[in-house]
Amino acid sequence: MNAEFFAFSLFSVFAIGGAVFFLNAIRVMHMALSLAFTFFSLAGIYLLLQAEFLAVVQVLVYAGGISILMIFGIMLTKPEESGASKSFQLHQWLSLIVVTGFFLVIMLIIYQNPIFAPTVKVYSPSVQSIGTTLFKDYAIPFELASILLLVALIGAIVLARKEQK
Amino acid sequence: MYLTSYLALAAILFCIGLYGVLTKRNAVMLLFSVELMLNAVNLNLVAFSRLGFFPNIEGQIFTFFTITVAAAEAAVGLAILIALYRKKETAEADQYNSLKG
Amino acid sequence: MVIKMINFAWTIPLLPLLAFLIQLTLRTKGKKLWVSWIGVISTFLAFLYAVFLLLQSFVWNRAITDWKVDWLHIGSNVITVGASFTPIQIAMLFIVSLVSCLVQLYSMGYMKDDGRSNTFFAYLSLFTFSMLGLVISPNFLELYFFWELVGVCSFLLVGFYFDRESAKQAAKKAFIVTRIGDVGLFIAICLLYWQVGSFDFAVVKQAVDTNQLSAGMLTLIAILIFVGAVGKSGQFPLHTWLPDAMEGPTPVSALIHAATMVAAGVFLIAETYWLFEASPTALTVVAYIGAFTALFAAVIALTQTNIKRVLAYSTISQLGYMMLGLGSLGYGAGFFHLLTHAFFKALLFLVAGAVIVAFRHEQDIRKMGGLWKQQKWLAVMFLIGSLSIAGIPPFSGFFSKDEIFLAVYHSGRYTLFVAALLAAFCTAFYMFRVYFLVFTGKEPGEKTKSLSWHFQVPIWILAFFSIFAGFVQFPSHILGEWIGVTESSTLWWIPVAVTLIALLGVFLAYAIYQRRWVSAAKIAKYSGFGYRLSYRKFYVDECYQAVFVWTLKGLGWILMGWDRFILGGVAQFIKLLPRQLGEIGSFLQNGQVQRYLLISIFGTLILLLSITAGRLIG
Repeated sequence: MNAEFFAFSLFSVFAIGGAVFFLNAIRVMHMALSLAFTFFSLAGIYLLLQAEFLAVVQVLVYAGGISILMIFGIMLTKPEESGASKSFQLHQWLSLIVVTGFFLVIMLIIYQNPIFAPTVKVYSPSVQSIGTTLFKDYAIPFELASILLLVALIGAIVLARKEQK
Repeated sequence: MYLTSYLALAAILFCIGLYGVLTKRNAVMLLFSVELMLNAVNLNLVAFSRLGFFPNIEGQIFTFFTITVAAAEAAVGLAILIALYRKKETAEADQYNSLKG
Repeated sequence: MVIKMINFAWTIPLLPLLAFLIQLTLRTKGKKLWVSWIGVISTFLAFLYAVFLLLQSFVWNRAITDWKVDWLHIGSNVITVGASFTPIQIAMLFIVSLVSCLVQLYSMGYMKDDGRSNTFFAYLSLFTFSMLGLVISPNFLELYFFWELVGVCSFLLVGFYFDRESAKQAAKKAFIVTRIGDVGLFIAICLLYWQVGSFDFAVVKQAVDTNQLSAGMLTLIAILIFVGAVGKSGQFPLHTWLPDAMEGPTPVSALIHAATMVAAGVFLIAETYWLFEASPTALTVVAYIGAFTALFAAVIALTQTNIKRVLAYSTISQLGYMMLGLGSLGYGAGFFHLLTHAFFKALLFLVAGAVIVAFRHEQDIRKMGGLWKQQKWLAVMFLIGSLSIAGIPPFSGFFSKDEIFLAVYHSGRYTLFVAALLAAFCTAFYMFRVYFLVFTGKEPGEKTKSLSWHFQVPIWILAFFSIFAGFVQFPSHILGEWIGVTESSTLWWIPVAVTLIALLGVFLAYAIYQRRWVSAAKIAKYSGFGYRLSYRKFYVDECYQAVFVWTLKGLGWILMGWDRFILGGVAQFIKLLPRQLGEIGSFLQNGQVQRYLLISIFGTLILLLSITAGRLIG
């Protein structure tokens, strides 16, 4: 329990710290790296929740694929930072207030309704059981997801291609 | 560990992501703030599948689908962004204001 | 034929109106000579008609039929327009058409070189029309219309040289100051209609005779009518416009501001005299205001240096005499003085105009002199006018003034009698001061301008009337009998006293300005403050400036502040409110995804709060 708590705390701090750093970093590359760090920490959290396969997928897709994609995106668009306009500063303040309000409401709801996991439950979240469920019960969504990925692949190529004049 | 702690962590991450979406001026960063929010949601799903009232494998299955969709979304979003960048010569999100009537 | 002409007597004012319309159409294109002749001839025809009526009424004692048509039906009340011809109305017709005709003839010489003379003659015709309409009005409403119309003509003619700032100011002043009096008249007419239900003089007179009106109401109405007369006839305290009105061309001064229009106030009181007879208080007010004005204006005229201003104050003073006569129950005396005054004051003004032309438009009497040698006939004419106004027998002014003095003496108000005597002394003095300064003394260096026959004929005719008009009341009271006045007994010493005091004034002027036994400058120096008071016209204009103009201006500033800051602020607020709302709206709608997202999240937050509110509070 202690070790689990310690690990949770550590990963939480890493995840939140990474996210905060992502928000506040000045250089865009630092943002990408800190976000990747958050994704890694989340993978650790998944491990704590006994979702080993998901943790691996997280590392593969997010910390690997999406972070790389982000770096590519940054490189392709040559980001420049100009001074924020006055209305944008106002927008930032308003955003902060709204998001804080949202956060407070959610936290209140969470802490007012503590959910205790039943101690008797037993299930083995092994890779095998995941595979069984996925290919037995969720075969059609799985196929749809593959089609979605294909469409996204083609769509991304079409969109990003330079227009032929 | 209580479920509450995971939910709180997810809420924090979600709100940070939300704030990023609302205030980041670089469109690429805006896109990846959305990824952060999706991750927070994933964390919720996984936490519930392990520690909820009815622990079940389905939560993880949903997370896979979410990740798939998120990956597709990131790819297509970035492609759109690059097309837009070519047109507008900028990646600043507040320059994309052609939605104005 | 004769009967028919009598029946169509109401067409008299239409002749000048026709002339006015023709002259108006020919204003820019018409030849100056023809246009001016149109006015003169039409007025002359009107004059002939008036003479015809005069003969009918005066000599053969025929009643001239009134003419009346319905104009408006208000409920059971019928408002009529028409014309009536009582003796004083016929007398006024005669005076107005005669003086108007002569002045128009004179203007042909005077305005010969003016570029806008066509307009000038058109205005004169319009004025003649209005004045003739005024004198034959049988009811208050019609009278009020023409009353305002002559006011407009006066405004137009005083401001005839509208490129001169002073003329513009004078025209405005004349219009506004007389308007104050007109409001009084208007209220009086409204009150009469309210009380009696008719505008007709005859109906109102009957109502007054049968005591339908309470004494207080009668006094109020009479005094309000007198207020109208005060404005028009330049009585104190509304006299200030008349001297300024001398900015107009001199023929206008002679016609409007000496002989006819300013006499309209006196005529109005004579016309509604039954109303004043019924209210002794009103008569007292008329008498006191008249006497005060007579003396006050005469004192001012002592020191003025502009020849036309002297004559203007003299006019005010003489009008005061008329008021005094009317107020002292001397109905015939007042009206008689109105008649003679019209002749000799028109004469004096026309001569003054000729003098001004002779001196090449110089109006300051201190810069004139020695005209006797070069234009002897002018000097004689001016002398006739001066003797007449000063009240030296046998000139016309003597008889009319004499009757006024008699009336005042009989009324028993001895202070007024003394004031009138003093005014008569001043009158003689200032007229002969002008005479000696202008016609005797050093000859002018350059030769004065000779004058055409246009100048001479009217002056000769008016001089004739100035000399002989007095004999309609002497030795027998022809005029008095005609207008229906029973004369009171004469007192032998009054004419003597009047003549002596006038001679004293003449002698003093002779001593100071001809013989120069006493230097005028020295007298001015010794009298000091008194001289300044008179020279600055008792500071009446300055007082009005301080009391009315500045307070009104202050009020205007306050109101402007109210308008600009309070009302403007409210208007600004009303304007800004939607604009700010719109700006908030456009702040939301700036086309950026992030802004829209923020709003939708805000909406979600509110939704969330409203769903969970009970739980959060509980």
